[in-house]
Amino acid sequence: MTEYAGLIPLLILALTAIAAMLAEAFREPGERMPIAGLGLIGLTGAAVASVALWNSDAHSMGVIRSDNFALFINLVLCIIGILTMLMSGDVVERERIPAGEYYALTLFALCGMMMMAAATDLLVVFLALEILSLAVYVLTGIRRRSAAGAEAAFKYFLLGAFSSAFFLYGIAFAFALSGSTRIEQIGEALSRQGAAEPSMLALLAVGLLAVGFAFKVSAVPFHMWTPDAYEGAPTIVTAFMSTAVKAAAFAAFARVFLSPLEPLKAQWIPMLSVIAALTMILGTVVGVVQTNVKRMLAYSSIAHAGYLLIGIVSANTTGKAAILFYLLAYAVTNMGALGIVALLGTEAKPHDELRDFAGLWRSRPGLAGLMTIFLLSLGGLPPTAGFIGKWYIFSAAVQEGHYWLAVIGVLTSVISVFFYLRIVVMMYMTEGSDAVRPRVAATAVAGLALAVIAVLYLGVLPTRALDLALDSISTIF
Amino acid sequence: MLSVIVFLPLVGAVLVLLAGGGGDRHDRAPAVRTLALAVSLATFLATLLLWWRFDGTSADYQFVERHAWIPAFGIQYLVGVDGISLLLVVLTAFLTPLALLSSWDSVHKNVKMFSFFVLALETSMLGVFVSIDLFLFYIFWDFVLIPMYFLIGIWGYERRVYAAVKFILYTMAGSVLMLIAIIGLAYAHGAATGTPSFNLLDLYSVHLPWRTEMWFFLAFALAFLIKVPLFPFHTWLPDAHVEAPTAGSIILAGVMLKMGTYGLLRFAFPLFPSAAMYFAPWIAVLAVVGIIYGALVAMVQPDMKKLVAYSSVSHLGFVVLGLCAMNVQGAQGAVYQMLNHGVSTGGLFMIVGMLSDRRHTRLISEFGGLKGVMPRLVAAFLLITLASIALPGMNGFVGEFLILLGAFLWNTKLAAFAASGVILSAVYMLWMFQRVNYGNVTNAKNRALPDLTPREWTMMVPTIAMCIAMGVLPGVFLRPIEPSVKRTIERVTGRSYGASARPQPPLLATLTSPRPDAQPAPPAPDARTARPGRPIQHPRPAGRERASSE
Repeated sequence: MTEYAGLIPLLILALTAIAAMLAEAFREPGERMPIAGLGLIGLTGAAVASVALWNSDAHSMGVIRSDNFALFINLVLCIIGILTMLMSGDVVERERIPAGEYYALTLFALCGMMMMAAATDLLVVFLALEILSLAVYVLTGIRRRSAAGAEAAFKYFLLGAFSSAFFLYGIAFAFALSGSTRIEQIGEALSRQGAAEPSMLALLAVGLLAVGFAFKVSAVPFHMWTPDAYEGAPTIVTAFMSTAVKAAAFAAFARVFLSPLEPLKAQWIPMLSVIAALTMILGTVVGVVQTNVKRMLAYSSIAHAGYLLIGIVSANTTGKAAILFYLLAYAVTNMGALGIVALLGTEAKPHDELRDFAGLWRSRPGLAGLMTIFLLSLGGLPPTAGFIGKWYIFSAAVQEGHYWLAVIGVLTSVISVFFYLRIVVMMYMTEGSDAVRPRVAATAVAGLALAVIAVLYLGVLPTRALDLALDSISTIF
Repeated sequence: MLSVIVFLPLVGAVLVLLAGGGGDRHDRAPAVRTLALAVSLATFLATLLLWWRFDGTSADYQFVERHAWIPAFGIQYLVGVDGISLLLVVLTAFLTPLALLSSWDSVHKNVKMFSFFVLALETSMLGVFVSIDLFLFYIFWDFVLIPMYFLIGIWGYERRVYAAVKFILYTMAGSVLMLIAIIGLAYAHGAATGTPSFNLLDLYSVHLPWRTEMWFFLAFALAFLIKVPLFPFHTWLPDAHVEAPTAGSIILAGVMLKMGTYGLLRFAFPLFPSAAMYFAPWIAVLAVVGIIYGALVAMVQPDMKKLVAYSSVSHLGFVVLGLCAMNVQGAQGAVYQMLNHGVSTGGLFMIVGMLSDRRHTRLISEFGGLKGVMPRLVAAFLLITLASIALPGMNGFVGEFLILLGAFLWNTKLAAFAASGVILSAVYMLWMFQRVNYGNVTNAKNRALPDLTPREWTMMVPTIAMCIAMGVLPGVFLRPIEPSVKRTIERVTGRSYGASARPQPPLLATLTSPRPDAQPAPPAPDARTARPGRPIQHPRPAGRERASSE
């Protein structure tokens, strides 16, 4: 039984997803079914199971390890999932997204993500990557009548397939190197060979794996798909994938690079530092000229990937814990921000242009206030989660002496504040357009309230979450 | 006690939100205004109590509160006041009710949110002055920007959005580098003692390699000098001041600029003494340039508000000069001048606000001959103007005199140039005063302007009373400042005055025998700073150990 204990959160989600699919199959046309509620129950169950497994370090079949690191990511993913379910209700109906498929795919994606965070075998990482990617490709293009959606899904799919190929190649080289795809055995093989003169094979493995991950976390120069996919997807899906995919991909990224590939640190740190710097710079600089809020937030998510990469580059205890905390902070913040964009859309018009936010303060002061808090958190201003996250990441960099990365990081955050403030200026300081503001459902309000409480809680009293993050990495690396 | 003072306005701000009801309800506006005013007055009374119970003979932090916050990184909730911060806290609490009063009739748009932001701003400013933990300090320091941004951006004049965005980006760009320096400093402490700490008192003892110290000092100094603002970092100030609503200008000039000079005195100089001694002459030169430049630019402004804004650049140059002199007279004068400037420039902005409320213009050319129309307002205007140009008997005189004394002890040339700023300030202020108030009423619209209303009386009376009291009874205010200033100076220069000695200025000794410059040149100046023609040799006191230990 203990063999399978680590799988419980995964299995709960998989069963919920299947139940959602079945429910959709048995649904009479026109009948309304609380599938989101089902998802909420499943996610809560998975979260509870993850908490129960805390400190148990359960191994399953040698390829899944539910250590605290994976469980922390599980919790982040459950939070993202719960927020998605809460905010989806009206949006799904309004945008005519097929509800059953939507919820089932979201849950399957989460399932794959949890697997990815816990996998200790590169092939299982790949398997998980494909589970989540396929689900997310379909979610991106789920509005069948939307040309933009189809384009986005296709682009995302093609580039994603490429990145999967790179990743597989990397696995192949790692296998050739060590005769195994298990993370710990690769690590042993590498440290046996010594880090001074790494073989060509090892370098190729590291490089190709890095490319695969860089695609998934949308790091420059592998970010091309991000703005289009984020803009074309339904906004609620954008919110989901910008946070959840990032969390899962960074979890695997950290697990692979910071334990088995650690002996090659001297080789990959310079490469990833440059990627991190470019990612931060491009994400913010291009973000400045966007006029579509979704696209702007897409570039901002690229920039945030750059900050997270600093955590990996720092490769110290602080950095590892910082990644976890940052993922949590970014998840609640970005879910909130994009959730509001999603909630503002109407049947006729998505209302995701910058000028659509004009005068939101007058028509919807509550939403405007929440949006402001989320944007300030994205920009890294105190007292929000985003500030603590950035502070933590930059601490890690400073600790390792990467001052230049920290300086680029803080300067790009100032630039990013400029474009976040453009939305604030629109909401508060520009006279309103007479756009129709849709009614916001009670569940969505609950979701936003949860998100904003999390943002402020993590910003003012981050101690508990920080300790939890520190606790999570101690078991693994 | 301190936490109550700091967070009382924030609690009030939340109450205001609740009391204001949903949306922008005009019927609730009077209640909201009264509530906000009551909260800010209560805060002011609490700070007076703080002053009453403050032990002015001690240089230590008092009313210290300490709670673990993020123990893994040595971050604490650690607050306290010493002589330097005490009066700045009182000043903050003194100006906030006046700022609220000043907008009583001129702000109609969403009074609820306006009061909310003013009170939130008060909390963050108070927090800046009482934080002893650098992390806590930075949080308050950065948070200040948010309410101010909204105050300028929503309730400002025509170009408010531009001014608000410029304000927040400019000041943020300066302060983020300080964040990195703070983190680096905490880890330097960790490397030396095993545990990182953000406690200022721990960090004072950190010894850094010269290069690191120089970079960290520059990061801190940049953040503070932009805030001051020192020439040439001042360009955000005229925009922010001119576009801000009156309440915003009062707080901006009265308190927020002092956060910069306070930061220099509290953090940048004592944390990095060798670098501070090394760079002080350059900063002082910039300060003197700022004094003269600000005055000259102020002279030609057609807009009263812009004139007062540039006069702030000039006045704050004095403060920075006093700090750079790094002796007790200069630093004490600087702290005193921070308070003076808060009161008198706050008062000037109130007056300009009153005129602008009446006429909806701030152009000097639109006015003229107001003395016959509004004698009482003009009388108040005159008193504040005189305070601002440092007439003996008014507050400005004491501060500027002490600063010039301190600067003279340090470097006579700089002091001489700075002193010309005193004359120039008389020129631009009195010229403006004359054009606005004397002569015939040239503009028919000015004939029937009402004189001071009761609300305006309640604003002007305390302000003018403070100007006179601080001019006549400087001892009351200087006494608590003195021990803390001395300790800070000791930290920077390593010289010791002895805790119990009277503040006998070593004036004569200095004049007869210049302090020996026994120390070697600062170690390892890098290529950038080693160019010839260094403007001023900083006199280095004998017995300074810091530089030689590196």
